[in-house]
Amino acid sequence: MARAGPLRLLLLVWVAIVSALPMLRLGLEGVVPSLPGAPPDLAAIVFSDPRVWRALRRTLVVAALGTALSAAIGVAAAVALGLFALPGRRLFAFLFVLPMLIPPQIAALSWIGALGPSSALLNALGLAPPLGTPHPLYSPGGIAALLGVQHAPLVFLPLMAALRRVPAGLVEAARLAGASHPTVLRTIVLPLVTPPLAGSVALAFVAAIGNFGIPALLGIPAGYTVLTVLIWQRLAGLGPSGLSEAALVSLLLAALAAAALWAEARAQARGKRFIASGAAASTRLDPGPWRLPMLALLSAYLATVLALPLAALVSTALVPAAGVQLSATTATLRHFEAVLFVQQNTITAFRNSLALAASAALILVAVALAATRVRLPHAARVMVELPYALPGVCVAVACILVYLRPLPLFGVSLYGSLWLILIAYLARFQALALKPVAGAAARLDPGLEEAARLAGAGPLRRLLTIALPLLAPAAAAAAILVALTALNEITLSILLYASGSQTLGVIVFGLNDGGAVGQAAAVSIVSLVLVLVLMGLASLLARRLPPGTLPWSA
Amino acid sequence: MPATSRRRALAVLVVPALAAIAAAPAPAQPLSGRLVLYTSQLEADAQGTADAFRARHPGVELEWVRGGTNALIPRLRAEFAAGNPRADVLLIADSLTMETLKAENRLLRWAEAPKGNVPAAHLDPDGFYWGTKLITTGIVRNARAPIPIVSWNDLADPRARGLVTMPSPAVSGAALIHVYAIVQNPALGWDYLERLARNGLSVRGGNGAVMQSVAGGERAFGMIIDYLPIREAAKGAPVQFIFPAEGVSAITEPVAILSGTRNEAAAKAFVAFLLSREGQELAARQGFLPADPGVAPPAGFPDPATIRIMPLDPKRALAEAEAVQRRFAQLTGQ
Repeated sequence: MARAGPLRLLLLVWVAIVSALPMLRLGLEGVVPSLPGAPPDLAAIVFSDPRVWRALRRTLVVAALGTALSAAIGVAAAVALGLFALPGRRLFAFLFVLPMLIPPQIAALSWIGALGPSSALLNALGLAPPLGTPHPLYSPGGIAALLGVQHAPLVFLPLMAALRRVPAGLVEAARLAGASHPTVLRTIVLPLVTPPLAGSVALAFVAAIGNFGIPALLGIPAGYTVLTVLIWQRLAGLGPSGLSEAALVSLLLAALAAAALWAEARAQARGKRFIASGAAASTRLDPGPWRLPMLALLSAYLATVLALPLAALVSTALVPAAGVQLSATTATLRHFEAVLFVQQNTITAFRNSLALAASAALILVAVALAATRVRLPHAARVMVELPYALPGVCVAVACILVYLRPLPLFGVSLYGSLWLILIAYLARFQALALKPVAGAAARLDPGLEEAARLAGAGPLRRLLTIALPLLAPAAAAAAILVALTALNEITLSILLYASGSQTLGVIVFGLNDGGAVGQAAAVSIVSLVLVLVLMGLASLLARRLPPGTLPWSA
Repeated sequence: MPATSRRRALAVLVVPALAAIAAAPAPAQPLSGRLVLYTSQLEADAQGTADAFRARHPGVELEWVRGGTNALIPRLRAEFAAGNPRADVLLIADSLTMETLKAENRLLRWAEAPKGNVPAAHLDPDGFYWGTKLITTGIVRNARAPIPIVSWNDLADPRARGLVTMPSPAVSGAALIHVYAIVQNPALGWDYLERLARNGLSVRGGNGAVMQSVAGGERAFGMIIDYLPIREAAKGAPVQFIFPAEGVSAITEPVAILSGTRNEAAAKAFVAFLLSREGQELAARQGFLPADPGVAPPAGFPDPATIRIMPLDPKRALAEAEAVQRRFAQLTGQ
């Protein structure tokens, strides 16, 4: 398309600066360590360090276990809520997605407070284990369990969307021809959902190896270091040579992620395309006698995964000091008062996180929509994927490498400013916005646009009347996803923050690290309320959009 | 009157007036601008310090970043390497770190800083940094712990197995100083640290994390700075702080101005504030032992004169620094 020329160029420049530049700089640092203070044989030193290989092994262990758990939970929930006509399935789907929207450091914090001898909740109930009992979650099993629960929605969402998109016509035809439910599942549903399932499992694995919040809060006390935590420690501990070392270990992690991504790409390539008619999804199956057991199981899971840690978090926030028994007389709102009205840093963090989330969402969705109009070369698409595929720690290290020195024209260094964090967010969450929008665009029948073009509609008219209405649900979902992920993230900002540019994740980690667990819990609760309010607003908005916009409002 | 005499009359009136205006001292400019503080104080304490300073100098916009000393200094060094240091003032745990920075010409010299009543032993004689408090590292014990504690050696007792924790010297400046002091103490030394490691010593995070761990009951004993358990016990936490028989290690939480500061006036005001009577009383209110012997210590502390401090040779500590840290990290499996 001739008109797409300048747009294509613009997008290529965008991808080059935002995504490619940091990644290439990171790769360069691995090949030729160029920071002052870095010895030339750094690679040999780093890769002969047994601690690096131990961290790699541990990363693989917890990621594999966690992903298996996510897959199991995600598949079970998607089948139950996507295929069957269960009462209250909208509420269940909404609640099921919540763990993904709870930041990992808050999830870890609440679970730490739910178990172990220091749990305010257990102490209040008189069920606390005796003094000196090691905390059960400070272990690889604990890390894997939390990773599994955290990333289950990553499998659940695409799978349920795929199940909802199984064409009603095919299923009806099969049932009319006499096929039983299992046959329908096996011959129609399974081949249709396997590609998205395989893809989402691969993504859950990549998310697991790149997670920082959970292995940091649970693994550091146990001395169980995974690669992301090792990178953070190397960076924090050693100055410039630490940056080079961190870059090298990041590249190791990147190789791991690349392998998983290759598997995901293979799975997606086998996917089939369908005509999007915009009509209602296929009819649901009747669970019959299995209804009550399914409801009971879902409720039990949600109660354990949501209600218990939330109760623990609230208890921790109300206790005046660690070790004090929580009761009606000792409960205090002192921590909430401190974080909302007294502590300048927490107030600033709230403001920063909201601003960053909103900016990133708007910018990235605009870019995603523009990208649907042009065909980007394969290399550009790989560059966009890369910062999301790699753990956030790698992207942060890459951004530090590029933006540490003052900018050439302006003479100011972006290091430590909110702008650098925004740039890192744009690089990292680009794929998050691109995927749903590009996926929806790919499923558009080109015939629709062809027909409009033949009837004489210009490109702008086609965009507004055909592409945008069909893409709007995906675009809205993408914006909300980016905003919520940005609000909750910690891996990027923990390496990039400085005075005045703290984010919520940094504050929660810092407060917990400094032993102010009550305040950390208070900040966590307020940010969770914020997230819920945003989700609520999004749900209200969804009424104006076609059904299926928001994953939890199916 | 002829023109010249009129001019002369004017000159007689105007010149003294101008001279008077020129000679009068310029009205004092209230301090303004931004001041960036890098500190290892805990969040709430840093906020308290910032609030008190802001009340005294409302025109100054004080921003602060906190982290354990040995986690904060690398961040500072990364900024030096980038040629973009953001910090104006430092308020960190120990003077050894200040000595290192001073040797690298990173600190601003202010020989005529108003030292108030702070004793000379707390201060750098060359005028590069000034100690603001006395913070000692002793033992915190959970009320439900199985054994009483009187000496450092009690932590290596078999009945305390798996029940002892301490902050990581890679994070906490106080913990690092404490390790140096133990290593240099002939009664304790590396042998003591090895016994602790064999007894299941857990090393992680900062002093706040140790406080949380012991108060919460996850561990029964911890090596920790004094004001945390004393302050938390007053709030009802089931802990007590013990000054062991062999003595405690001590740090002075010094303040210093970075040589690249962009707001020297406000930075100097900050230093002067911390050393003034008002600043020392603030420290006491926050629960610290103030450096000024004339300010009453907070409740829960013994008479400062009775506290026995383990001797520390700073030159030896600096010379052995890297070797000690590496050996300790290997010993504790980090």
